[in-house]
Amino acid sequence: MGSEARKRSREKLKELREREKRAAKRTKTLIVLGAAAAVVVLIVGVGYAVLNADRRDAGFEGALPPQVLQEDGSVVLAQEGVQAPVVEVYADYQCPACRQFELLNGDVLKQNAADGEAIVHYRPVSIFAQQPVPISSNSLRGGAAARAAAQHGYFVEYNDILFENQPTEGNEGFTVDELKEWYRQTDASAEQEGEFDQRIDEEAAVVTTFTEDYLPALTEDAMAEIGEETLGTMVLSDLIAWGADNGHDPSFLDGTYTGEIITATGTAYTRYSGDNTFRGTPSVYINGELLDNNTAMTVRGLNEAIASADAGEVDTQPMGDGGGAE
Amino acid sequence: MDTPDESPATPAAPPAPRSRWEAVQPWLTLACRVGLAAVLVFAAVSKFPPALSVQAVEAYDLFPVEIAMLIGYTLPLFELALAVLLLAGLATRYVGAVSAILMVLFIAGIVSAMARGLNIDCGCFGGGGQVDPGETTYGLSIARDIAFAAMGAFIAARPRSPFALDRAIGLFR
Repeated sequence: MGSEARKRSREKLKELREREKRAAKRTKTLIVLGAAAAVVVLIVGVGYAVLNADRRDAGFEGALPPQVLQEDGSVVLAQEGVQAPVVEVYADYQCPACRQFELLNGDVLKQNAADGEAIVHYRPVSIFAQQPVPISSNSLRGGAAARAAAQHGYFVEYNDILFENQPTEGNEGFTVDELKEWYRQTDASAEQEGEFDQRIDEEAAVVTTFTEDYLPALTEDAMAEIGEETLGTMVLSDLIAWGADNGHDPSFLDGTYTGEIITATGTAYTRYSGDNTFRGTPSVYINGELLDNNTAMTVRGLNEAIASADAGEVDTQPMGDGGGAE
Repeated sequence: MDTPDESPATPAAPPAPRSRWEAVQPWLTLACRVGLAAVLVFAAVSKFPPALSVQAVEAYDLFPVEIAMLIGYTLPLFELALAVLLLAGLATRYVGAVSAILMVLFIAGIVSAMARGLNIDCGCFGGGGQVDPGETTYGLSIARDIAFAAMGAFIAARPRSPFALDRAIGLFR
């Protein structure tokens, strides 16, 4: 062979080897990709099956036990005269984590109450009352509306509707029209609906005054007089009390549901101590002991915690002037 | 074939590094693999229980409820899977690329939430008082995710690293 021909055949061999190498590389790539995909499918598949096993699809369908409105605006859901652990649920209607708790464990609470296994004490609060509008106004309007529903004995049903329709933090929601419309989804009578509608209008006006006029002025004043640091440690109801002595008249809140939930929130911060201190929402207590996230936020965790607790006592009295189902 | 085979069929010692970069790069990639894996594990575990993960997804207000729930349940698992693959060094280039893409998607989500004025940092659990709804945390989160995306991109660009299953199969030597 001539050197030209030898060169060509060497080049052809080189090409062949290159192609083989590329093909081999492609095969290896496919192998690792396939193996990696298998790992992903395994971990995600098995993990999902395990996590999903905790969720219960069948919701609570049955008669709710009696709901009794309490003196501070909270609601107790329990069979009459039952001996069972007291499960307190602190929630803010604008709080996204509370919504998840409600979606996941709302029916667990109802089932336990219906079975006489728990005395559920719903204690709505507004931890967002000092946040910027619309977060604060959503929170307060939602809380006031729930209280108005409780007045006619429809708290639990309305509570569910509010959480299902929770506005995203930062968006305006819980509008007056929506709140009234949702009340139609309960079994309230036409007369009760009329009362509810009127109360919503009144409370919405109070919330607007509070979040857009009263609170900004009060906060500005307090920043100047007390200083930002001390201010940061004060609970809203204490701030309002300070304001009352310093030229910010809170009497427009008297007798309103908005005022009531603000008071209830303030009390929550002082009710418990140590590890059980109230810090945020959702807070679930069984006989005064705060549950951790893993217990409260899983179906099994909550059920087991309730099952293993002793009987307890509610720390409030029923509201004197009516409210609650007969 | 008569002509001698130029590439060794059996794994011999790699040729002496031609530059300092060639010596250092594999260890940099390994560091990125381990670092990114740690980040992904932390991200996955801190979202447990699933209810909290769903809440984190819903905060972006981008999906209907059922999709948000699905993502909430499976995203942490997917992050765990990526972490396992990075640590094992399997399909390194591609896992690095996927991780980088994932980070870019997170950044897009954060920017979208920022633009709509949403508060993605619930602030519920530490609640009470005048907590500033996370304007500072947007910037931090984005910067953080950019760094993680860069790590993923580096791994994808330079997948050669020690302690990788890929090497046993003969890739990225």
